[in-house]
Amino acid sequence: MRLKGCLVAIGLGAVLLTASAPLDGASFGTVVSIGGQASDIVLDQMRGVVYVANFTANRIDVVSTADNTIHSSMNVAPQPGALAMSMDGHYLLAAHYGNWSPTDPQRNLITLIDLTSGARQTFIMGAAPLGVAFLANGQALIVTTSSFVLFNPASGGMQTVTTFAALAPLALPAPSATFPQQITETALTASGDGNTVWGLGGAGTASEIVFQYSAVLNQVAPPLAVQSIPPLLPRVSVNADGSRAMIGYAVFGSNFGSGVVLAQYPDPVISLNIAGSAIDSANGIIYAQIPDTAYPATGPPFTARNIPVLYVMDAANLKIRERLTLPEDMVGRAVLSNFGQTLYAVSESGLMVLPVGAVNQYPRLVASQEDVLIQTNVCGNGVLSQPLTIADPGGNHTAFSISVSQAGVTVTPSSGVTPATVQVSVNPAAFQNQAGTASIPLVITSQTAVNQPQHVRLLVSNPGSNQRGTIVNVPGRVSDIMADPVRNLVYVLRQDTDQLLVYDGTTYALTATLPTATTPTRMNFAIDGQHLLVGHENAQVIDVFDMNTLRQSGAIGLPFGHYARSVAASNASTLAVARNGTASSASGGASAWVGVLPGPSEVDRVDPVNLVSATLPALGVWQNQLSADATLAPAPNGATILLADSNGNIMLYAATGDTFVASRRDFSVLQGAIAASSYGSYIVGDNVLNGSVVPAGVLDTSVGATAGFAFVNQGGFRLSGASASGPGAMENLPALPSAAVRPTLVVESPVTPGVGNVFTRAISPLAVGTNLIAQTTSGFTVVAWSYDAVVTLPTISSVVNAANGGQAVAPGGLISIMGQQMSLVTLATSQIPLPTALAQSCVKVNGTPVPLLLVSNQQINAQLPYNVTGNAALTIMTPGGESDSFYFTVSATAPTVFMSGTAGPLTGLAAVVRWNNGELVTPTNPIHANDWLEIYLTGMGATTPAVPAGQPGPSNPFAVAQALPSVTLGGHALTVSYAGMAPGEVGVYQIDALVPPGVPTGINVPLEISQGDVSTPISERVVN
Amino acid sequence: MKTIGNAILLLTALAAGGSAQDWEFGIDGGYSIAPAISVTATQPAGTATTGFAPGAAFSVYVGENKSRFVGGELRYSYIMGDARINSGGASTTFGAVANEVHYDLIFHTSSKARVQLFVALGGGVKIFEGTGVEAAYQPLMQYAYLTKTREVKPMGSVGAGIKFLLSKRLVFRIEGRDYISPFPTEVITPALGATFSRSIMHNFVPMAGFGFRF
Repeated sequence: MRLKGCLVAIGLGAVLLTASAPLDGASFGTVVSIGGQASDIVLDQMRGVVYVANFTANRIDVVSTADNTIHSSMNVAPQPGALAMSMDGHYLLAAHYGNWSPTDPQRNLITLIDLTSGARQTFIMGAAPLGVAFLANGQALIVTTSSFVLFNPASGGMQTVTTFAALAPLALPAPSATFPQQITETALTASGDGNTVWGLGGAGTASEIVFQYSAVLNQVAPPLAVQSIPPLLPRVSVNADGSRAMIGYAVFGSNFGSGVVLAQYPDPVISLNIAGSAIDSANGIIYAQIPDTAYPATGPPFTARNIPVLYVMDAANLKIRERLTLPEDMVGRAVLSNFGQTLYAVSESGLMVLPVGAVNQYPRLVASQEDVLIQTNVCGNGVLSQPLTIADPGGNHTAFSISVSQAGVTVTPSSGVTPATVQVSVNPAAFQNQAGTASIPLVITSQTAVNQPQHVRLLVSNPGSNQRGTIVNVPGRVSDIMADPVRNLVYVLRQDTDQLLVYDGTTYALTATLPTATTPTRMNFAIDGQHLLVGHENAQVIDVFDMNTLRQSGAIGLPFGHYARSVAASNASTLAVARNGTASSASGGASAWVGVLPGPSEVDRVDPVNLVSATLPALGVWQNQLSADATLAPAPNGATILLADSNGNIMLYAATGDTFVASRRDFSVLQGAIAASSYGSYIVGDNVLNGSVVPAGVLDTSVGATAGFAFVNQGGFRLSGASASGPGAMENLPALPSAAVRPTLVVESPVTPGVGNVFTRAISPLAVGTNLIAQTTSGFTVVAWSYDAVVTLPTISSVVNAANGGQAVAPGGLISIMGQQMSLVTLATSQIPLPTALAQSCVKVNGTPVPLLLVSNQQINAQLPYNVTGNAALTIMTPGGESDSFYFTVSATAPTVFMSGTAGPLTGLAAVVRWNNGELVTPTNPIHANDWLEIYLTGMGATTPAVPAGQPGPSNPFAVAQALPSVTLGGHALTVSYAGMAPGEVGVYQIDALVPPGVPTGINVPLEISQGDVSTPISERVVN
Repeated sequence: MKTIGNAILLLTALAAGGSAQDWEFGIDGGYSIAPAISVTATQPAGTATTGFAPGAAFSVYVGENKSRFVGGELRYSYIMGDARINSGGASTTFGAVANEVHYDLIFHTSSKARVQLFVALGGGVKIFEGTGVEAAYQPLMQYAYLTKTREVKPMGSVGAGIKFLLSKRLVFRIEGRDYISPFPTEVITPALGATFSRSIMHNFVPMAGFGFRF
């Protein structure tokens, strides 16, 4: 049956345009109310309109993108449930949901609208059409309750591609307060190239299927039967080439096999209606609203309205970049305009328009740091402060306020307009009864910002002099740490930002940040000791990283529905424990869980070389069925893998025989530390197990439960803690089982287990005799191997400049202090401004604490204050006490060129750089006439404007040396264009000089810098 | 290239000025071979060889037969050959070229014969030029520094060859030269603590070319 119709324009007054109506504060975007409930939208950029299927009012509203108002409407058959437009913009196709009770086949219609002529045709379908999508070949794919049908808009012909077990969407009339897509339970979307269609049918029902149609092959891949908890809502967005699609809160890959769920949002909660997403393939972004634990959406009806939030996420792993406040909830399809400038989404009122490409024009707030760490120290007295900068990423001037509800903490000023730097101050007296680290939120709010700025975490560490260790701050949620003594690196899994962080094992500076899949849980090395395997809570893959190159080398796809929380390698097999929920499917075939259901778990054998995996049929003679929290720990020699389950089950896998050889349940519940040795000893919680995993002893729990254990030979180090804000305790056990010896408090507590981690590593040693790395409140804590050695008074043997080790020093210059017992650990800082205490060591010059760059047992690098000249007295304070005073002389100026340059294997080079090629001057890169030189030095004294000690040199304006230097080369004066602090550097000065023609040549031509009555010569090669 | 241009102009002018006599103008192409010299380093201790890599050579000349058995030639040569250091299988190279201008006396058999043997003896200057990309670190720089600079050295020239008169005016010649000069220690500079085995370098250049008599 065919019907013809015409475009019916209706007055603008028939519908309402509603400007953004934020629920609380400002919001981002505009709402267009359509006077009904929208089921689908199509963006027609060629005509500058959005077609909105008004499901309940039986029309298609045409919204102008120029002014976001409804200019006209097309009255169509009842219940337009889905819309699609041909890629050439010729046809608009509407599917009418006719699943009424009692059944009336005459209601199962599609309407084809010729957008060029305005002509309309209506066709009857054999079953209720649920979704439509146009393909690159000009045909449309229609999904009905039981089949996929190809529809040719030119001829009106239909061809059934395949059929499937009938879906059973909600029959009409539906219960009140039910939105259109709750009724159809289906959505499908074509890729940008029009060659692939992804869809979801039976959303939230027992017949839920994910399907993928290839227009090139004219084939539907065997649908994935899915059991999703919480249910996936029918929202499908597809990337440009169809290789991945976001369906509900999960991102599916196109292989439809192992590792098919590439990412899923970590904290989704049940939602009946609220959700939507769009993929910006060009920029690697996914825009989505997903109800989560911060925004439960169990309605309607709602008991309390929360603020709708749009997440701007990395497409690869759903890492949230930004949270934007929406004017109302997204309840259906979202589409992006070309170049990702504007996002249009079905919303509660009809249509929501979000100018995501112009977000910089809207007020937003961001803090310069995620954490502010303030540590009291042995020098400390009085209020301690750290700066915190609040900015608007778009450069706008946005009002903000910061609140904190903790006695002893102040933020000054507590409000302002961006950009602004506030001082976060802590009165140590308010924390005198706290021996660990307190975590205090600094809440940033604004009445005008459209984003939701993250709280800043203030960490106040107040250790006593008897506590050991140096805190290395790692913001966010750390799920695992591991020291790599071979490469002298420390690996940290940051769960909230999906990152593997790599720190240098000497300076503890962050050297690499590698993205992981979603919610990394635990890591271990493959048996080759080169590749690091990372499991995830919310991705069905194990990432493989090559730690020699610090790059991801691949990903192991896990069986459908498996999320590996833990992975461990042996000399025979590499095993992973994966949470899983395999179940039979109502529609037949394989079915598996998608979502956050915790278990049960199974053991998979994984192949890190070929990147494949398979589930073990049994664990030796035992069933392969574990609880969700089961965790693996490999023995360092690869002989065994310990498996501990929170239900008390302990199993042992032996590489010899490649099977599980023991399974016991001696405990009703287990959690905490897990570790395996190469000598047939194991630790689970506070329990010591022998080579047959038989309980062989219990660790001392008087200082708290065991959070971590690191085997060293047949003994090891134990880390425990009693409370999150209290101290930790480290014990050295030379053999097991045995009583702990030399228990010592450490500066802060080990962390409580994170998501997916009932069992924790918590402590990991670097090379024997160096340092231990402990996972603690602020990130990780570096504890010296000899943490329990008797601490003696520090002694000072000399104070020299840090540039060339000479005696000449000047105010503001960098110095090196030589001595003994000056720090228990070696630690450098990149913190700006420089801290005045580092690793429990501090330095005073004439009674004033000075900024520190590096501390170690025999050397401390620091910056002299600007207000000291003449004779000065220097002391060092450590937990061992305060040193005797060391007297030295400070000149007004003492220019000294840094002899710290390196080139290839060459070290100790003068820091003189040729502008021509940006490389250090050496005999193979000699100075030529007319060269511009940059000379880096310290000790040039006071500047204009003055720069506080510990602060870097400014760039606007530059800090110019008050006493201008002269520079000669072979006796010929160079033209000095700048002499002052090097911008961005602390205590480092820079001279820019031009080499004149006619300078003498030679392999050792003196280059001399003179300032005041002090000069410093070096030699450089000069050629013609 | 500027040097080459100037030399060609000079030779052309000389040729034009002597058109009433028995003049010869020609071009040669050949291959430059400069035996490396040894270098001994002390920091760290080790030995290497350094010098210039073999490379193409081109020259233009203008000659005059002063008598039946004696003549003279003014010659410009452009010699390609990167500066290099080799030690124990490792090597480093640096772009380099040389320009030579020299005058040689030519002692030959009868100038009327169709085949003439000749020897050459003369001198001039050699301009060494390092042309590579400078870097703060060069491999093997404990032995020598390969440098981007220009250095002028005096040069002696000895050689011998054969001329074939293909026609009244066209001559084909094969010859070999040894250009002897002080080693260019600005372009290849001994590293601090390193010593070169010789201060003189030889540069053998076998060549072949055509001359035009007028």
